[in-house]
Amino acid sequence: MAVIPVPKPSPKAMDPNRPVNALLLAQVEHLQHAERRLPLKYRTEIYTHAIRTEGEAALYIREVTEAIRAAHGDAEANRSKAAQSRKPSPSSTAKRKGLSNKSQKRK
Amino acid sequence: MSEGLNQLKHIVVLMMENRSFDHMLGSLSAVDPRIDGVTGQFTNPDTTGAAIKPQPSADFQGQLDPDPDHHFPAVDLQIFGGDPARVANMQGFIKSYFNQRRDVAHSQKIMYYFTQANLPVLTTLALEFAVFNRWFASIPGPTICNRAFAHYGTSFGRVDMNPFDVIEPFKSIYTRLINNAPQHTAKVYYYDTTSSTMEVVNLLQNQPQLFGTYLQFQEDCASGNLPDYSFVEPNYNDHETDSGEEVASDQHPDHDVQAGEQFIAEVYMRIRSNPRLWASTALLVVYDEHGGIFDHVPPPACTPDKFSAPANSTGTGMAFNFDRLGVRVPAILISPWIPKNTVVSDRVFDHASIPATIAKFFSCDDFQISPREAAADVFIEPNSANVDPARNLLSLDVMRNDCPEFSM
Repeated sequence: MAVIPVPKPSPKAMDPNRPVNALLLAQVEHLQHAERRLPLKYRTEIYTHAIRTEGEAALYIREVTEAIRAAHGDAEANRSKAAQSRKPSPSSTAKRKGLSNKSQKRK
Repeated sequence: MSEGLNQLKHIVVLMMENRSFDHMLGSLSAVDPRIDGVTGQFTNPDTTGAAIKPQPSADFQGQLDPDPDHHFPAVDLQIFGGDPARVANMQGFIKSYFNQRRDVAHSQKIMYYFTQANLPVLTTLALEFAVFNRWFASIPGPTICNRAFAHYGTSFGRVDMNPFDVIEPFKSIYTRLINNAPQHTAKVYYYDTTSSTMEVVNLLQNQPQLFGTYLQFQEDCASGNLPDYSFVEPNYNDHETDSGEEVASDQHPDHDVQAGEQFIAEVYMRIRSNPRLWASTALLVVYDEHGGIFDHVPPPACTPDKFSAPANSTGTGMAFNFDRLGVRVPAILISPWIPKNTVVSDRVFDHASIPATIAKFFSCDDFQISPREAAADVFIEPNSANVDPARNLLSLDVMRNDCPEFSM
């Protein structure tokens, strides 16, 4: 079985100051579209029209991706909390059925 | 019945960025003439009228700057060469690149391709498993609309990079899988939150639970908990993390091609290193579109989609009915059940083949699909008693034990 060595990229390959490419600008635009639909508290304060470099785009991409996930996570947590509070406790079930603790015990 | 199809439980698609078939795999025609790569016969005219041949001079980085234009009008010029009769002659690549810098010598670099030695990962996988001679981008246009075909089997009439809306009744392949009876599992693994996904507006925004990170992909491979279907996205940008520098691995010009080689090898080895997963997984490595870089095969006509792009949205002054494929891209199907050195020559594929294959293999039959997806060929046959052996690529009776490994 052949084991093939994979060359590492040049140390110069990394350049967050590289001018942002059209693909990343499109991704920023899509994220901005999504960000506008987020509740205010999740929105960033990054001015996307001023993004010039890949590093600047990366920062915005991370912030909005995390915000989208946080907004959904919080909504899910609230949904679970609301479901929990609606879930009848054994005593309230007994009350609805007209059964007091005493009658439960008697039974 | 095929033992490879019997064993197959997971399909993984890794979609890279913006490189043409000839640019990445064209050198292999010298190794195996069945591979339809570069020969001395092809040329493109430069703006002085000189006929320029492809050269094995591609660099990993710094050569294709500015990023070659691959929006719809530029790709139209690349395919038709400005021919008023609109014959797809693949003669417009240098003309198109010249338009960006107006430098004759620089424009010729669009004809450069990599040697086999330069791309040890991609070329090894192509020679060891199944390489497709006729896998085309779905649209002669840019990334977002082409990736839409991989997710939905259509781009809903878009040929550009703008946000688009999913139009009912067509659903993503992920929604189809998780809503199917029986239910299947599916995940999109983006590299990390700083790289994120290229399908923000419909998938990430509305269904973030579909997404995981590449770290989670690594863990899922190790634990054997990979979903039935995984779509892996490379790192789209250079960024710092707590653990150090993350170099973009998508191979989009002008990102480093070797970083992408390393990422492809990583994904392969994650699957390869878990023996049970390796035996039950097929990995497709494919590129979303050609990125404006030379390829010699004219994209064929295809079944029109339900949608069309009006003349005022294409940039060519002509409407587009999604009745022609985009430029050819590298595509390799990997599994230990595929015979070494398989070349798929006589069948045409595009990214609509991805949802078509997944839906058919996992029997998600109760969903409406686009005309393009309905017409798309599948790269993995549905497992049934009457599988056509001539079409089944996972055809070995016994799993191979000679598949390559990569050391990083």
